Amino acid sequence: MVFHKNFGRLLLLVLVFLAQAANASPAQSPGFKTLPSGSKVVLMPMDVELFSISAGGVLEPQAEWTSQALGNLKGAFHTREHKNAIVFSELPDEPDDAIDSLNRLHGAVGSAINFHHFGPMNLPTKEKRLEWTLGPDVATIRQKTGADYALFTFMRDSYASGERVAAMVVAAMFGVGLGGGVQVGYVSLVDLSSGEILWFNQLVRGTGDLRTASSAKESLDALLDKFPE
Amino acid sequence: MRWLLLGVVVLLASCANVTKIGPGKVSVNEKMVTQLDKAWNRIDAPGKGKVEIWTADGLPLDRLTFYPAIGDGEALAELQGRKEKQQPRFHVGMPPHEIVELFETVVAADGSTFRLDKLSPTAFAGGEGFRFDYSVLRKEDEVELKGVAYGVVQHGKLFLMTFSAPKTHYFGKHLSSVESIAGSVQIRN
Amino acid sequence: MDRRQFLVGCGCCGLVGAFPALALATSTNTDVWQAPQRFQRPLAGSEEGGLWAMMDREEAKLRRSMFLIKERPLNDYLTRIATRLAGEHSLDIRVYPVRTPLFNASMAPNGMLQIWSGLLLRMANEAQLAAIIGHEIGHYLSRHSLDRLRDAKSRSAFGQFLGIALSAAGAGGTAPLAQMALVAGMFAYGRDQEREADRIGLELMSKAGYEPMEASKVWAQLLAEINAEKDWSGAPAEKSVLFASHPPAVERQDDLVARAKRLSAGQLSPYEGDYASMLAPYRREWLEDELKRRKSGETLALLEIMLQRSPGDSELRFFLGETYRLRAADGDMERAMNEYRAAAERPDTPAELYRSMGMIQRQQGDHQSAKDSFRHYLAARPEAVDATMILSYLEKGS
Repeated sequence: MVFHKNFGRLLLLVLVFLAQAANASPAQSPGFKTLPSGSKVVLMPMDVELFSISAGGVLEPQAEWTSQALGNLKGAFHTREHKNAIVFSELPDEPDDAIDSLNRLHGAVGSAINFHHFGPMNLPTKEKRLEWTLGPDVATIRQKTGADYALFTFMRDSYASGERVAAMVVAAMFGVGLGGGVQVGYVSLVDLSSGEILWFNQLVRGTGDLRTASSAKESLDALLDKFPE
Repeated sequence: MRWLLLGVVVLLASCANVTKIGPGKVSVNEKMVTQLDKAWNRIDAPGKGKVEIWTADGLPLDRLTFYPAIGDGEALAELQGRKEKQQPRFHVGMPPHEIVELFETVVAADGSTFRLDKLSPTAFAGGEGFRFDYSVLRKEDEVELKGVAYGVVQHGKLFLMTFSAPKTHYFGKHLSSVESIAGSVQIRN
Repeated sequence: MDRRQFLVGCGCCGLVGAFPALALATSTNTDVWQAPQRFQRPLAGSEEGGLWAMMDREEAKLRRSMFLIKERPLNDYLTRIATRLAGEHSLDIRVYPVRTPLFNASMAPNGMLQIWSGLLLRMANEAQLAAIIGHEIGHYLSRHSLDRLRDAKSRSAFGQFLGIALSAAGAGGTAPLAQMALVAGMFAYGRDQEREADRIGLELMSKAGYEPMEASKVWAQLLAEINAEKDWSGAPAEKSVLFASHPPAVERQDDLVARAKRLSAGQLSPYEGDYASMLAPYRREWLEDELKRRKSGETLALLEIMLQRSPGDSELRFFLGETYRLRAADGDMERAMNEYRAAAERPDTPAELYRSMGMIQRQQGDHQSAKDSFRHYLAARPEAVDATMILSYLEKGS
């Protein structure tokens, strides 16, 4: 019930984003062009959640799908043909307070970029520039992993259940467009020498499926479209 | 869903405007005036009452909030889902300590924790006011924030200005700007 | 009032899915009850398996939460109680104390048991805590949620509840507590299930050597708090999360008392000593969290009950004074001063009491007494974060 209301708001915001992409995606910070050849990029723990939409529009978290999606996305990263000898590595999954704290901060920074750079609440002082940072504390990630850059991934993905699809078909017959699933996410590239967000790609669309390896690959390609390698 | 649901943000997103303010002289809700050394962003949303919110890097990050002219018996902020008697209300004669306690209630309403780090007298808005520094663990996304606030009671009304931002990088980035804004606040008669 | 909103569960169940259901050797006539064997994890692809996986993910988040209370002594203490109660099932149970100033404990189907600081604050002794944990284990062992959580809506509500419980964030500003109560109502247990969990909880308690009569006292106290808040602010009881998670219906009360009498020899004394010393390092902070809620009715009722148990406790009396001071209704300043004065005569009084006295005395125009009080505070807390502010109160004099 409450989740439905949340999803309603999500949908509204998504539609707003689609309607008025204030700034084009992907965005790059001023002065950044591409990653140097041979750069080491560490993959931060991905923040991914998959949901199903029931006939009545109720959003249900689907933990099994989420686990699959995480596996598929990681697999897609590793099998992707990275250009320019860019090397991707994974952050070891052990508790680390300093890194957890930076992860949480990035959540807030990612929100800020979504709303205020791409979204309807542009900050005039930024003058359409992508100018955000995690600050110099990112050095801890660099020390731990030896990487020069970090990549943060965020995905919220919903899928219409069978009943939902049936409901959509019926509704369409009556000229009513019921929402199917929505895929919302971003990828953020951070410079580990300064903390600066160098490149940020927002993805908002009504297609995409993270539950199978091949379609997850397609979603990853969409996320990394025009990745500066 | 959490990335969207940072309190105020969702409410404002559907019908809010952002206005560039400063540098120079800027009015706060026609009740206060201050001098900005650089530009900030003011969030204009209908129905937010007298509270004014500014941000430099975005609402999920830093927030400069003004509570102008809170009168006797008035709630500092109308907390949702509460009865009248459960709202934190200002009373004339409240010492600064109790004003801090009002603010603490507002911050802690969503389950965030609040810790007072310092409270001292200071000149503010042309009167004998106070400044307090604080730390918050934001419940929603567990980001650690630091904060600074200035307040004064003039003619029986409370004028309060609070600034919160993540303790990593952002608080330090804007602190001197906030201190200089506080230093130049004046109350309009 | 919607009956369903009263019959809210604790967010728990004993879902096992693939494992064949063991008939419990229960009977409504006798008190014979046998615990089932340890549960097996359900198959990954099954409905219940998906729910379990969701619980595991929430647990992984909880383990990294900044609101988790991590000190070993408290965690070990809670685990010991769970072990005494649940026997071999305790191998499947993990206890997590969380800093949230609300009365709640919830057991998820995968054995994750959350206990909130608001609840820990309110327990008079270990037996009362054992009653709560035993009740949760009762739901877990009886797999009560099977029906409830088969419904997709309630499953999603359950997931939400956990998400909300962890992050208590409102949906765009909605009061998180009201939201939780609402959501909790969506996977509510039936009256029979609540009674069953009570019953099993009492069995487990008495087998473990705890005085079963203590269980009924927990609910009586909760009810007193809720009614006090209703009297004070008019907040309807069903909006309280306290009430939503553990509805103290009158028949359940009577049931608890009657069963406890049958079980108890009346000679076991509740483990009290352990509990007070376990609570000691946290109590001040949790009382401060309680004050910030500004639910004066509940807080006053709580403190009055705590003071009945230990009338000489000057920290409690200080907090009672604070509650009046913050409530600031007619006559409250006098009430606060009475409490402060009563506590001031005792040796273990918190120094902050003198600060509060000074503030009231100043507001009442008694400037000389205010100065004395502030000086007393500063002498005890020369490095206080508000020392310069207090000095300015002294200098200004009025």
